Amino acid sequence: MSGKRHKKELWLDPRAKLFLILMCVLSSMFAPSLAYQFILVMLIAILGAFCGKWKYVIKAVCFYAVICALTVWIMAEMTGTLRTMFIAFLGLFHKVYACGTLAGIVLTTTKVNEFLSAMNRVRAPKKLVIPMAVMLRYIPTIQEDWRYITDAMRMRDVSPSLAGFLTHPGMTVECIYVPLLMAASKAADDLSVASVTRGIENPNPRTCLVQIKCGISDWGVMAVAVAYLIFELCVRGGVIG
Amino acid sequence: MIEFENVSFSYTGQEHGGLRDINLKISDGECVLFCGRSGCGKTTITRLVNGLIPQFYQGELHGRVLVDGQEISNIPMYQIAAKVGSVFQNPRTQFFNVDTDSEIAFGIENEARPPKKLAERVEQTTEDLHIQKLRNRNIFELSGGEKQKIAFASVYAMNPQIYLLDEPSSNLDMTSIQELKEHLRLIKKQGKTVLIAEHRLYYLMELADRIVYLEKGEIKGIYTPEEFWQLSEPDREHMGLRAVDLQAVFPPKAHLPAPPPVLELRNVTLRYKKQTILHDIELSAGKGEVIGVVGHNGAGKTTFSRALCGLHKDCDGQFLWESEPIERKERLKRSYMVMQDVNYELFADSVEAECSFGIRNPDQTLVNATLEELGLTPYRERHPNTLSGGQKQRVAVAVSMICGKDLLVFDEPTSGLDFDSMTQVAGLIQRLSDMGKVIFIVTHDFEFVCRTCSRVLHFDEGEMPDDVPVTMDALPKLRELFSVSDGKER
Repeated sequence: MSGKRHKKELWLDPRAKLFLILMCVLSSMFAPSLAYQFILVMLIAILGAFCGKWKYVIKAVCFYAVICALTVWIMAEMTGTLRTMFIAFLGLFHKVYACGTLAGIVLTTTKVNEFLSAMNRVRAPKKLVIPMAVMLRYIPTIQEDWRYITDAMRMRDVSPSLAGFLTHPGMTVECIYVPLLMAASKAADDLSVASVTRGIENPNPRTCLVQIKCGISDWGVMAVAVAYLIFELCVRGGVIG
Repeated sequence: MIEFENVSFSYTGQEHGGLRDINLKISDGECVLFCGRSGCGKTTITRLVNGLIPQFYQGELHGRVLVDGQEISNIPMYQIAAKVGSVFQNPRTQFFNVDTDSEIAFGIENEARPPKKLAERVEQTTEDLHIQKLRNRNIFELSGGEKQKIAFASVYAMNPQIYLLDEPSSNLDMTSIQELKEHLRLIKKQGKTVLIAEHRLYYLMELADRIVYLEKGEIKGIYTPEEFWQLSEPDREHMGLRAVDLQAVFPPKAHLPAPPPVLELRNVTLRYKKQTILHDIELSAGKGEVIGVVGHNGAGKTTFSRALCGLHKDCDGQFLWESEPIERKERLKRSYMVMQDVNYELFADSVEAECSFGIRNPDQTLVNATLEELGLTPYRERHPNTLSGGQKQRVAVAVSMICGKDLLVFDEPTSGLDFDSMTQVAGLIQRLSDMGKVIFIVTHDFEFVCRTCSRVLHFDEGEMPDDVPVTMDALPKLRELFSVSDGKER
């Protein structure tokens, strides 16, 4: 069982991951400047790389670097309403980006059953946990759906590319969201049925084939996250620098 | 023991699929097959036993359903789950986990068995069902048949007394159906009660103890397999049932001579993610030809269909249309794929809007004529998603006709269809063939192939070893391709 999981990739307890997301939100909120945001994204990228998500983090960092460069340029060059508009938009973007990247890593590396038993350990209510588990499970399905939908669009002469979106935004959106929504509602029903008929509603605490426990690496990663937040707070408070 | 006492049920806001005055007793260890047309209520019966009605699907329920003397509607779902295991139709969406091991363990984890017992039970299940190869795999990489095996294994691990299977074979190829049959034989030997709702009957004939025929929500007849064998073909077809014996299904004696080729493939090689899927395919097809495509899951049928339609980029060799080379973009304009799940290709909010969707100056007379031709005129204002599966399929075909597509690919057009719908699809394909379209059909359905196709292409291990005409002369080969066993098993 454990053979595949331990192939040198970092494995984190789902509880540690949730804690990391919380820390990330706080760090983003209290980041004193753009540089600290960038360091945060880099830290997340390093974590992602350890978890075996190389391609994902490289893309994420490159994209963020471009956005940062753009932000610096806008701050320096633009004036007036346009500047305000961009800064408002980018400000929000910067706050969300780090969390989004981390969430991506967490979602793709967490198995549903690990998540379920971790939530059981922290005694989270089932009413909250089950919908979250369904969501977690549903994400890879979208990738499959996506392939079919883009095929269907091409056959109808609607280009699923960015250019197509810019020339016919209404139609492109319709082509994507109508089938995706239909597929999603059906999949959600089927998934719920498949889980309730196998007793997911059992009130007894669930056991798990994979033993989850908080190891050294979990504590280590959490310590780094906390340290970074404290560092940021110190900078803000004027203790350092 | 399962007892239905005067059970009537109707879904809220839905006409079909209800039940009326069902009285039935099923003893322990019995294997009962429920059959009948789509919407006859056979799935509803299974839902009454696993408690999804009334706890998940809303509707009006009268009468009682008892399992071992306890009324199902009074037991919480998780307790029913320990007693009644359910396997569903669509293998894609009955998974909760992303890897196979966790999925097999999912049910027993919910039962909160101690971790050591979990591992033991998963091992035992693997051994009993011979699925060692499927252990520790990513579920999204499995074929439909393999997924269905994992779904079955997960239920098997819970070791319920009653198994319910709702059209388990709809998405399976012939080999996977054989394997499913072996698994059913195993649980039957263990003395489990098995209830199956199914359109494909032939693989269950030697397993079923009783066959319950439903019509419009009522039990119209209960047969033993022997009595069922006795039914004449016209009687059976009148009941809307698929073949009980594939040995008795024959291709037509002869076809019209093949028309001159319009589509030609020369030396075509297809790759997916740098791996060669199919190589050196030589093929020609004429106007009006209907060509079946068979092969195991993963043999390259999907890649082949996508390449034909110009959706797959990574291919070498030449495609010719009327002796002129035809590039990928050009093929994309000429062709249309009717997907197994048609929902992906329906975008608009009414049938009529769907037909002119994405066309700059739609020809209204053509739209009207096409809708009339396919019998869709009464539904023109309806939302495509409120239609039945067969009707949606026809909408997709209508779209292809209005866009003037000449090359059509159908992906498993008959999965989960009853006899009536199957003949309708066959009729539709005949009509398209008469219009001079070139049609490819990816399918596992022997009965359907015999009705519609003039040739069958077989893909295996990266090659196309067979191109067989669907005629009496080629019957032994056809039976081999569709794994129709030689009747001794009866």
